[in-house]
Amino acid sequence: MITRRDLIKMGGLTLSIMLMPAGYRLLKAEEVPKRYAPNLWINLSKDNVLTVFVNKSEMGQGVYTGLPMIIAEELDFPWERVKVQPAPAGKPYVDPKMGIQLTGGSTSVSNMYEILRLAGASMREMLLASASKKLGIPKEKLIAKGGYIIAGDKRYTYGEFSELANKEPLPEKPRLKSPQEFIYIGKGVPRIDVPEKTNGKAIFGIDTFEEGMLYMVVERPPYFGAKPLKVDTSEVKREFPQVEVFTLSSGGVAVCGDSFWTCQKARQKLRVEWSESFVKGWKDKDFENFFLSKLKDKGQVVKVKGTPQKAYEESPIKVEETYIQPYLYHATMEPMSCLAWLKKDECIVYAPTQSQTWVLESAKRISGLPESRIKVITTYLGGGFGRKANVEFVAEALEASKKLGKPVKLIYTREDDIKSGYFRPYSATHIKASADKEGNINSLSFKIAVQPLLNGRASVEGVENMFYAIPNLLVERVDVELPVSFWFWRSVGSTHNAFSIETIIDRIAYKAGKDPAELRLKLLKDNPVAYRVVEYAMEKSGWSKNFGKGKAVGMAYHYSFGSHACHVAQVSLEKNKVRVHKIVAVIDVGPLVVHPDLIRSQVEGAIAMGLSMALKEQVSFKDGGVENTNFHAYQILTAEEMPQVEVHILTSKREMGGVGEPGLPPTAPAVANALLWGYGIRINSLPIRL
Amino acid sequence: MYELKINGRTYRVSAYEDEPLLWVIRERLRLTGTKFGCGMGVCGSCTVLIDGKAARSCLVPVSSVAGKEILTIEGIPENHPLKKAWIEEQVPQCGYCQSGQIMEAYALLLENPRPTKKQVIERMSSHLCRCGTYNRIVKAILKASGGKT
Ligand code: FES
Ligand code: FES
Repeated sequence: MITRRDLIKMGGLTLSIMLMPAGYRLLKAEEVPKRYAPNLWINLSKDNVLTVFVNKSEMGQGVYTGLPMIIAEELDFPWERVKVQPAPAGKPYVDPKMGIQLTGGSTSVSNMYEILRLAGASMREMLLASASKKLGIPKEKLIAKGGYIIAGDKRYTYGEFSELANKEPLPEKPRLKSPQEFIYIGKGVPRIDVPEKTNGKAIFGIDTFEEGMLYMVVERPPYFGAKPLKVDTSEVKREFPQVEVFTLSSGGVAVCGDSFWTCQKARQKLRVEWSESFVKGWKDKDFENFFLSKLKDKGQVVKVKGTPQKAYEESPIKVEETYIQPYLYHATMEPMSCLAWLKKDECIVYAPTQSQTWVLESAKRISGLPESRIKVITTYLGGGFGRKANVEFVAEALEASKKLGKPVKLIYTREDDIKSGYFRPYSATHIKASADKEGNINSLSFKIAVQPLLNGRASVEGVENMFYAIPNLLVERVDVELPVSFWFWRSVGSTHNAFSIETIIDRIAYKAGKDPAELRLKLLKDNPVAYRVVEYAMEKSGWSKNFGKGKAVGMAYHYSFGSHACHVAQVSLEKNKVRVHKIVAVIDVGPLVVHPDLIRSQVEGAIAMGLSMALKEQVSFKDGGVENTNFHAYQILTAEEMPQVEVHILTSKREMGGVGEPGLPPTAPAVANALLWGYGIRINSLPIRL
Repeated sequence: MYELKINGRTYRVSAYEDEPLLWVIRERLRLTGTKFGCGMGVCGSCTVLIDGKAARSCLVPVSSVAGKEILTIEGIPENHPLKKAWIEEQVPQCGYCQSGQIMEAYALLLENPRPTKKQVIERMSSHLCRCGTYNRIVKAILKASGGKT
């Protein structure tokens, strides 16, 4: 783990970024108060290498590239000489807007943009100041460019002045580049992690080792909500005397042995008796009935505006629909895995985690050690999508290591992974909406029954805060309790709410015989940014010539995580199978585009996941447990089903938005709307089954 | 004790007879570029070449490959056109599925050095990528094979 001392020893020019009550501050290494460590360290070495210790998890979104790139921009430094290291967990590496060290909510680059620029610019000025002294040439005559200080026809690497620069005070107000001077921002750089990931060298959680480590798998109940009552290990012990079996506080039964395959073989011999559970015996239909019945419960009113019921009754056009959306599995290609080693006075955890803070909390709780004795090493994440912000798997490995006194590597098999739950919650939604003769929506009553995330805020996400100017609005939620564990899934509440709201808009338009894109424009007239996103999507998709009754083209717009997105999908039915040919996506990300290809790849990925959810995904149940426990049955989108994707990025003067999640929500409703206009098919439950 | 020929090197390793090659490569020999995804031959993450043919190492018992030539992601040179195309097209996101994808593409190009786009898509559809890098994978393969993208 890097400490303040290490960095001072490292030599060169070192700055750090630290969160203070008033926001981020830039500090020199020696200015960092002893008992604190900063959020981010930046070091420019004597041999002219820039190393950035990044406090975020790289799960494919490109954060190891995006953050250092902004520093390198202002420093004007060659990209090939930039390195990244994950920052070790500790109090210091906390994201200010979230209060914990968490990668999610699409916020990484947006939260740190300004301070990173300031850091790069300050370093550049410090280098110039020290070069000026050393060379005896006035600062104005020197140029700092491309990693070199240029003095007339002579040039010196930044590194040559890095030690001296470290003695310079931080500049009060370093000059920031104007956008015309940008060499990286807005253009992008090759991703730092791509070569390693192409050569099989990237280290994920599952790829970590410690000498003498044991392996571990966790046996789980056949249905949710059960705990082990009796664990019979006699057969295990007979064949595998070295294997250790014990129950975990998560409710699983740990099987630990000298190799993964030993554990797998031993668990076959395990006999566990599980407690009863409320959902034992439940099938898909039971969940559906349960959620539909919950929808009849009295809801909690989240928002009310005008008189929705009255407007509904008095309007000529009415629609009323009930939607069912299933539990969804994250299906990260790397299943949960973690290596934990709890020694007497030290604890080491290697984890592919989205939440270093929660890993640290677990480690403190389980080890009883102070934070200073705990080292959390964040590996690459083989997919996160929210799932790896949950740290139950880390706690399981820690518990086992504590019990056995050895390093323990936990690997979830695919079946264990899906059976561990933490799904995108199931939901039932009831919507009543009305419009005047022209199709102008004048009322909308929305009620959802769902297990509540973020104290229920996620239940109504994307509805309660939508930009559509609907004069009469009612938003209600019913908090459902069930022993099926649930969690954040890429774009969270917007996954289900964008689907119901966006299909309702088209149902109204369909009934009124109006163009749903025009209808959206009218509803968004008070929000110029949203308006332009829809308008741009119309233009880029050739809406006016491609759209129409009998043509399977559909649109959906949604605002989430600070960005506006509008997709147009071109669809057809082939032998009763939905085929999506093309999706034109427009996203407005706020004031500027830092790295266009990162945005494009995130939107492509979000669309793939959104389409997968629309066409294929559903956790199905048998006896209250997961029935489709591997990819043969829990199917996700394949290359054959991937449409052509065209991404257009817009900017607007406002706060910076996220890019990892907002591309997902409009995908499924755009496809469903295409089916409505093309074939008159109404989709009220996902995945689409014809 | 098994003797395995991997990437031109010989390894001696003890393992259970029925232990899948995947776990021997990854966990016992620590060639971790080969990934575990499903353990049932569905996702393709664990793909290696055995005597020049793509194989899902999670389904291959280690006892069945003695004496055969095994190639893993680590055995493909870094300047191979496929790997270069992968970097040029900036294919990986999380990266976890990519070793398997590249191994499959490598096997495909051995069999068919100039596949059509349709053939590429068909072949690669047996590999899952949760990050949705499919279109870039197809582009990279066509690029590496000199085909039309
Ligand atoms: S792990 Fe072998 S195919 Fe999935
Ligand atoms: S790049 Fe993440 S699963 Fe393929």
